[in-house]
Amino acid sequence: MHAFILAGGFATRLWPLTEKRAKPLLPLAGIPLIEYLVRDIPEDVPVTISTNANFKEAFEDWANSLNRSNVEILIEDVKSDDQKLGALGATAQWISEAKINDDVLLLTGDNYCGFSFDAFLAAASPDTTLIAVHDIKDLELAKAFGTVLTKDNSSHVVGFEEKPKEPKTTLVNTGCSLLPKSVLPIVIDHAKEHPDNVGGVFEELLNRGKPIECFSFTEAWFDIGSFDAYIEATKELVGGRVIEEEGSSIEKTECNGSVVIGERSSVSDSELTDVVIFEDCVIEDCVLSNCVLDKGCKIRGIDLSGKMLREGTILP
Amino acid sequence: MRYKGLLLLWLLTDLAVFIGSYAAAYFLRVGWILSTDFPFKPYITVVAITAPLWLIVLITTRTFALTRSQSSVRNLAYIIYSSLVGTALFALGYYFLYGLFFSRMLLLYSLVISTVVIWIWHLLYSMFQRKMLRANPPVFPTLIVGVTRESRALITKLNKGSNPLKPVAILDGKGCKDAEIDGVPVRGKLNKLEDVLSEGVTHLIQCSDLEQSLNLLSACRQNKITYMLLPSVLGIVERDEKVESLEGQPVTMVGPKENALMWFFK
Repeated sequence: MHAFILAGGFATRLWPLTEKRAKPLLPLAGIPLIEYLVRDIPEDVPVTISTNANFKEAFEDWANSLNRSNVEILIEDVKSDDQKLGALGATAQWISEAKINDDVLLLTGDNYCGFSFDAFLAAASPDTTLIAVHDIKDLELAKAFGTVLTKDNSSHVVGFEEKPKEPKTTLVNTGCSLLPKSVLPIVIDHAKEHPDNVGGVFEELLNRGKPIECFSFTEAWFDIGSFDAYIEATKELVGGRVIEEEGSSIEKTECNGSVVIGERSSVSDSELTDVVIFEDCVIEDCVLSNCVLDKGCKIRGIDLSGKMLREGTILP
Repeated sequence: MRYKGLLLLWLLTDLAVFIGSYAAAYFLRVGWILSTDFPFKPYITVVAITAPLWLIVLITTRTFALTRSQSSVRNLAYIIYSSLVGTALFALGYYFLYGLFFSRMLLLYSLVISTVVIWIWHLLYSMFQRKMLRANPPVFPTLIVGVTRESRALITKLNKGSNPLKPVAILDGKGCKDAEIDGVPVRGKLNKLEDVLSEGVTHLIQCSDLEQSLNLLSACRQNKITYMLLPSVLGIVERDEKVESLEGQPVTMVGPKENALMWFFK
């Protein structure tokens, strides 16, 4: 088996946090989002992470910091969204060029999955595609995802609709799937016409009579595509605590909800509620609620709610 | 450099036009043949002394500011005000130097001629200056953030009026289907901001995406770029907003519509 993680997106909805940082490298409760995925993948499974040239160095630095030697960073040679190969296109290109002839654990790098990959892989049947699904219990929300129809509530998938206008189910694909090596030619073939539609490949597999099973889980799952999702995921992982990273300091400050203070950041005379502060920030006499401050921000004497501040912001 | 040169030329030509208009008033009132009763030399000497003082008054009205439209009524009012001060300074200066008062009609001629000629000169010079400032590469390349009906209208107005702020790129927080608006390319979403700013943009006009104001301001401060905000981003669409001060704290004010004279008092 080989794991392939898609991490090439430009994450425009999370601007400015993703201005100089790939979304999968965003710290979630102090740990890069993608690290949650990688550290749960069995040690003997080689991991390839596909990203774009803009984030090459950042990914390589991060990979070097891991205690794992079988992580490879694959650079998609594009500098902007317009030139992207597409998620499925990148996957297909890697399968072809690396001559992959093995099962592929395909993951999207901006998702947080609370379940264990051991349990997921244990649920796999030979020569059957397996996708991890989560019940988001809201038909309206389901419109933004690939929905999965099963036969009589079993694990046997009978239908897949990518971002349906009228969802028939609240069971959604979570960006984690196991593709048996027998379907890889179909993936390559489908990517030629639909390079951007990863979900579409499951519809194609069903159309060609290939079996798909689903692994349903109830643990936390977050698609970190927006500011709100990022804050929600932080709340879930931090769980009402205050995480003080190395070299940080808090003085005369009231913290409520989930608060993360990044390395070498200092907070004084302030009130923080559900706030993530990245490294090297200085906060004095502020009231912050539902805010994310990128590194190097220096703010004093202001109240902010629901804001993301870009790197190096100085206020006033 | 191009802007500074043009501005210096404007100031110098304004001095010349001011002195010239007073000379014209003299010749109209006193006659084309130089009078021995009211000699031209001391007259023009006082005008020359007054001219820089008049120019300082005109500068303080921000008539030369980049964003000022020379054809606006407000600008004409400032020019009239400066000319009045100029005429008063001239009369006082003449009295201080020579202990004499003279023809009131000459003062009236000087006031009217200097006002009209300066205004016409400003209209002509600003047209020339705009053309020079917009010539490629533009001196003030401007980034528009946000594609809205109002920003489209703004881009059209800036281009149609040959405003010194020349829109060179458009970004939108959520993306936009148009490839260009009035010839200005839509470069994408805000993740392209750094790229666009690094291309030498001098001004940024925020037309939507209120939630990103802090970040756009931060980017402008870091890159020494002038930030501007359309009041409509704040929901102010009345067109009579103004920035005032409450005990030194700046506030944007929109008052209820009432008698125009109350504008001076409220």
